[in-house]
Amino acid sequence: MKKIFFILVAVLTLSSCTTTQSLYSWYNYEDATYQYNKKSTEELQVKMLEQYKKLTDKQKGTRGVVPPGMFAEYGYQLYKTGKKDEGLSFLKKEIALYPESEKYISRIIKQLEK
Amino acid sequence: MKKIILFALTVVALVSSCTTPMTMGKQYPAMYEEKPLTIAIMPPINQTTHTEAKDYFYTTMYLPLCEKGYYVYSPYLTMEMFQQESAYDAEQFIEGDLGIFQKILGADAAMFTIIKDWRRNNIGGLLTVDVEYVLRSTKTGQTLYSREGKITVDTSINGGSSGLGALVSMIATAVNTAATDKVIAGRKCNAFVLSDLPAGKYSSWYGKDASNAAGKKMIKATVK
Repeated sequence: MKKIFFILVAVLTLSSCTTTQSLYSWYNYEDATYQYNKKSTEELQVKMLEQYKKLTDKQKGTRGVVPPGMFAEYGYQLYKTGKKDEGLSFLKKEIALYPESEKYISRIIKQLEK
Repeated sequence: MKKIILFALTVVALVSSCTTPMTMGKQYPAMYEEKPLTIAIMPPINQTTHTEAKDYFYTTMYLPLCEKGYYVYSPYLTMEMFQQESAYDAEQFIEGDLGIFQKILGADAAMFTIIKDWRRNNIGGLLTVDVEYVLRSTKTGQTLYSREGKITVDTSINGGSSGLGALVSMIATAVNTAATDKVIAGRKCNAFVLSDLPAGKYSSWYGKDASNAAGKKMIKATVK
């Protein structure tokens, strides 16, 4: 009788073991960008840029690289805040990490440099 | 006692084996044929009267699709492009030619969403969203994946059932529901629905999930 219970407990414990690990670390990205999108204040922009910095500096996900589109978003925001060279270099990093983004990101770079 | 437990276990096993699970490979064969790598998120098609739903829901799909292993174009960047190209109304594309997104973005597939419900009930403490997802190939135009989710988020607070307790919990529920953003329900809907989207190139599941069980076409759930 006890054995059956033990087996059941063991099965339940094992089945709950398989947690899916994230490919990327997102920190507070979703909320920070959402809040800024809702209300574009300077304060919220600072908070959002902090999240981009964290995201592009420290990745603890299983892939260990920056998520798709993130270098580009960060670069675009930096460019808009006046840090043009830094912004462009981040946009180029997007292409280096994800070559499949080249068509689109080059288009953005061209538009910004116009 | 032992017999009862064994009987119960057998019944559970039989019932659960009755419904032969549909596999992802059979339900979404085009995903495995075309193997899209890059996905463009289209501005949602909003069938509700809540105009804000479109802008706010738009960006929520980015994170779960990246986590599925795809290259996803940042919706914050594409939003501006769609507005410039007067393509912010995805209605004109859902059945039309998508070649332009292959040409401009390099996207292999476009994710369309149709928001059918987006509502808040403060007294009952419920947030409800109903969204249909359709992923179409930009090359062949065929539908690669489609699914619909109706998700209710229960934000009610229970402070007791009699007299003052009931009144307190009613007020607390209304306040809590009003303060909970509807976008939370949208995010939960993505998580539920996209759980059986075949994995993309950057996932360790890529090419290995065809025999995994697929979910129902319409998924309904209430989450706390």
